[in-house]
Amino acid sequence: MSQNKKIITGLAMGVAAILIMFFSTMPAAGSKEITIDDLVNNQEKFKGDYVMTQGLLNKDSIKWNADKIELEFEIFNEGEGSLPIFYRGVKPDNFTDDVIVIVEGFMQDGIFEAEKVQTKCPSKYEGEDMENYDGEMHKKMFNDKME
Amino acid sequence: MYLIGNIALVLGVVISLYSLAANIIGIRTGDRKWLESARGGVLSLVFIAAVASFLLFYILGTSQFQFSYVAAYTSQNLPMVYKLTAFWAGNAGSLMLWTVLLCIYAGMIVFSKEKRNPMIPYVSSVLLINILFFFTVMLINGNPFEMTDKIPADGKGLNPMLQNPGMILHPVTLFMGYVGLAVPFAFAIAALIMKRMDAEWIKLTRRWTLTAWLFLTLGNIIGAWWAYVELGWGGYWAWDPVENASFLPWLTVSAFLHSVMIQERKNMLKIWNVSLIILSYILTLFGTFLVRSGILTSVHAFGDSNLGAYFLIFLAFMAMISIYIVMTRYQLIKKDSNPIESYFSKESSFLLNNLILVVAAFAVFWGTMYPLISESVTGTKVNVGAPYFDKVMAPIFLALILLMAVCPLIAWQKAAFDKFIKSAIVPLLMGLATAFLLLAAGVKGLYAILGLASTVFMFGTHVMEFVRGIHARRKATKENVFRAAVRLTLKNQRRYGGYIVHMGIAVLTVGVISSYAYSSEVMKTINKGESITIGHYELTFNGLSETTRNNNGIVVADVSVAYKGKAIGGVKPEKIFYETWPEPSTEVAVKTHWAQDLYVVLSSWETKDKVTFMVKVNPFVSWIWTGGIIVVIGSAFALIGGRPAGRIQPTSVTKS
Repeated sequence: MSQNKKIITGLAMGVAAILIMFFSTMPAAGSKEITIDDLVNNQEKFKGDYVMTQGLLNKDSIKWNADKIELEFEIFNEGEGSLPIFYRGVKPDNFTDDVIVIVEGFMQDGIFEAEKVQTKCPSKYEGEDMENYDGEMHKKMFNDKME
Repeated sequence: MYLIGNIALVLGVVISLYSLAANIIGIRTGDRKWLESARGGVLSLVFIAAVASFLLFYILGTSQFQFSYVAAYTSQNLPMVYKLTAFWAGNAGSLMLWTVLLCIYAGMIVFSKEKRNPMIPYVSSVLLINILFFFTVMLINGNPFEMTDKIPADGKGLNPMLQNPGMILHPVTLFMGYVGLAVPFAFAIAALIMKRMDAEWIKLTRRWTLTAWLFLTLGNIIGAWWAYVELGWGGYWAWDPVENASFLPWLTVSAFLHSVMIQERKNMLKIWNVSLIILSYILTLFGTFLVRSGILTSVHAFGDSNLGAYFLIFLAFMAMISIYIVMTRYQLIKKDSNPIESYFSKESSFLLNNLILVVAAFAVFWGTMYPLISESVTGTKVNVGAPYFDKVMAPIFLALILLMAVCPLIAWQKAAFDKFIKSAIVPLLMGLATAFLLLAAGVKGLYAILGLASTVFMFGTHVMEFVRGIHARRKATKENVFRAAVRLTLKNQRRYGGYIVHMGIAVLTVGVISSYAYSSEVMKTINKGESITIGHYELTFNGLSETTRNNNGIVVADVSVAYKGKAIGGVKPEKIFYETWPEPSTEVAVKTHWAQDLYVVLSSWETKDKVTFMVKVNPFVSWIWTGGIIVVIGSAFALIGGRPAGRIQPTSVTKS
């Protein structure tokens, strides 16, 4: 065996070891992406699994406890059931009607205990059409909050 | 103006087609006139792309809302700097930026001092194919000069997240890096087509590759800084698919920069180098495809469009051509490659470094693509987030840092083991001392301590290299320390520039490891006059007020800060109600200290006197930016003064 081949064999074995290492960590480190319906209907199946799901935010369901820093809300998909979510954390930016909320966490007795809550705009870097924009509403929201 | 813009795009397609044809005819017939004509074509492409870009800047700057691009990304009240930088806020403008950079680069090459080099027509052809692709895509699918049906009174405005100084530099630097990789790729392909298997293409493109790498680095660092101050982006690095996409070519180019040194000096690894640069170039297209297609869930993704499909087709086309060319030249390249002589030599340590970097790139690629792979295999989309990357990348990077620590000490060809130990002992002890000090100070986390100690070891060997070099020089020349240091570095800028880059990486690594392992976070709702304690900091909330800036309503919390009981001023976290955006956006307040950042977010408020804050203390974050700056300085240094390595004697101090 030539020197060159020996070195390459040695290095290849090292690479193989690293590859095996990261293939084996794969399932444990992942979060399964499940639809809300699937999650609500098959709660037993996903018990203990770290799950990621997404849906539209129901703004009326938001309950925010500022003293305890606890956030409760529901997300839903059109024509499907809704999922109650409990999160120990603050509201992310853009937490409003018709925003897609991505949550990651565990199902716990019918309630989804989220460890991570993120919002996604339908088109992230494009503004809304100006016709939909209500300047008065803005001012009102702003003033309401300030009082 | 609509006319000028669109004519420019059409001309872009026509002229790049013509120049490509002229090049091919010129190469076939050997007729200089055709080649001259192609060169003229490239020059006019530079002109056209420049005119189109100035036009886009002009319509953005003067708010001509009859253009849909202007109406979609800017508004009347947007500050001028963001009106102009909206150039690259959307798909069409990003394509324009890519095109203009590509044209400028092509122009620089065909008019460089190498313009008589027979390789150049091939190189310019490869670049022209790229230019043709971009002009065509703009014309069909991303025309920045498209008109609106009805002229709106005002535009939609720029997404608040993009209204950040990062917007000015991050996209441009990253694109300069991306586009820059097309040049060494074109040279590699040209060399292969011409069956020139020497290292000429590497020597000619060293500066291009290094510049591209420098801009990629800069782009990523600025991007990290931007993501750090933007609340929704999950910190300076979140292993988001789009972030990974720009990290992938960085990893492969880093590998390439090292392995070409071996080809330059030793005539080895030819196939490897060609493959690496092709891979890096393909990865830039792949990254663009990921960002534009929306096939993966990302917080940085652009709005859905079918641009992704075009990039995928182009990517497949370029990949197949490249693979075909490499395959047909395989035997030829292999024929005159030299073998490696010893396990324990700079050559094999470089080879190992390459393998680690490529494995790292593969691990990142695998994790990024895993949702798609798992969906096609098992039907369930499994997202591997940060936990996967942390687990997998930590040992890989640890190995890389350790290798960087020993690499400068290993001589070319065959290194002597006892000499190696002699020069490694001091830095190694420094590393061990760091570990002991951290343990003694009660710092937890074995991995982090291991990482920090290795980084100090790595930093130490590089400092020792400088010290040894200066010492040797002073012995010979009797210069003072400072003069010797400067002269030494200037005399071999490539080598010491590289060392400076490594030292910058060390500083950056300290920042990453400590901020990752030891950051703390508190969320609390408090009343006026109350305070929050985190680490050595005490924050007191003094009240909420409102102001306006650029017509946007702003709510500001006034918070005073004390560090270890001593008042050190205040922070003012904000919520900005953008005129053109339905929801307020958060403006983080950061107070930087060399050892940690205080990171304060005004989360929400119940009344004017009762507010919820999120406060973080992130240790050593400023080291990340400092390290990044050192890396950029080091690579600029290696760039400016570097002569091809062939003319310099191999100068490892440990060499016997």
